Amino acid sequence: MKEKIRIFLDTDLLEKYLLGTASLEETSQVERYIAMYPEVRKTYNELQESLESFAKLHAIKTPEGLKERILERIKSQNVGRRKFMRYAIAASIVAFMFASASYFFWNQNQTLAEENEMVTNEIQLMKNDMKQQLEDLRKQYIVLNNPQTKKYNVKGNSKAKELKAVAYVNPVKKLSYINVAKLPNLPEDQCYQMWAEVNGEMVNLGVIREATNDQKLLALPYAENAIGYITIEPMGGNETPTVENIVANITY
Amino acid sequence: MLFRGKILHQPENQMSTLLEKHIVELLQERNEKAISLLYEHYGDTLYGVAHKVVRNEELAQDVLQESFVKIWKKSDSYDSSKAKLFTWLFRITRNTAIDKLRSVNTKADKEIQIDVSDVYSLGVNSTRPEFMDVKENLGKIESKYQIVLEALFFQGMTQQEASDELNIPLGTIKSRLKIGLRELKKIYGPSMAIALLLNFLS
Repeated sequence: MKEKIRIFLDTDLLEKYLLGTASLEETSQVERYIAMYPEVRKTYNELQESLESFAKLHAIKTPEGLKERILERIKSQNVGRRKFMRYAIAASIVAFMFASASYFFWNQNQTLAEENEMVTNEIQLMKNDMKQQLEDLRKQYIVLNNPQTKKYNVKGNSKAKELKAVAYVNPVKKLSYINVAKLPNLPEDQCYQMWAEVNGEMVNLGVIREATNDQKLLALPYAENAIGYITIEPMGGNETPTVENIVANITY
Repeated sequence: MLFRGKILHQPENQMSTLLEKHIVELLQERNEKAISLLYEHYGDTLYGVAHKVVRNEELAQDVLQESFVKIWKKSDSYDSSKAKLFTWLFRITRNTAIDKLRSVNTKADKEIQIDVSDVYSLGVNSTRPEFMDVKENLGKIESKYQIVLEALFFQGMTQQEASDELNIPLGTIKSRLKIGLRELKKIYGPSMAIALLLNFLS
């Protein structure tokens, strides 16, 4: 061990470390030796003392005014640092505000984009609806104004005496409509449903709603010698017509 | 005489450690008073160190100024468990001086001019009264020991490098360094046991 320390002390590493010229690797080695061996530590401390003593031997009186210049410079450094800190804080706040604003606008933009898409979709839907309705109206117009259109008055049977409807059938254009003008009131759990027997098959045309009574023509599937029925069904409609509840039939 | 020196030296040493602690505390608190105290107690010595390296008054002043700025900036990196305060101050000043000398030399090389101010200012310095004290103290150490101490402490040479540079055998360098350090202790630390020194050098 003694030998190891002697070799180490012979290397000048301690002197290099003292002057701050040792490399990183050398520094860690020296610091390890200083921590581990009291002898090395003692030598290092003595070298520090000697260095200070020797340096003091070379002391020269500093010129007048140098102290003030140095203090002035350090003061201005601090002001610079403080100024920098102030700018840094201000810049951070601005950056934060900018980031928040960006996020806010981005978010808003995102919402607007979604809304825009929704509106576009709705417009598209409306356009399609309108097209559909226009087409419907056109057909109704054709049917109603065509001289070849035949008009059938439909009346309810004993179960619904007040029921009145008009069916329009155009064999040329193969279009038929029914306008249900009056439906007798029904208990709340029942409704009227429209059917058509086309080529021997019963087609469900849907529930007839009160509100559409006067205005709307209901399209009927066209077929030669088809029969339309109106039945009373449980609320919400039925899958197959209840034959005993037929209140009207239209042969066209 | 020796007895008196011993008594006087002891409290002074304690005081300087106390002062060191106080300055270190102020530095860590980033109190500007630390710089003022550092300048008062180490300014002359550090100026001397800077002058020793750059050998020019004006440059030495620049070096001292830059060193103090560095000391202030790096004050939180000082670790009292790793080095005495003076050792840390010395490292910074010496490195700043060496950097300054290098940059001046590069400039001088580029300008290809012969700068006589070094020689001139050295001449002026040596006649100044404040240098007399230094000369007197240094005079107590024989120049052959001074040269070795200078090579070690100021030029940062290894003993081998000093041997090569000064054309003196390594063994002689070692013994002169030993004696030089002993002479140094005689001037500044009469209370230090010489046995410790011998132990360090053996």
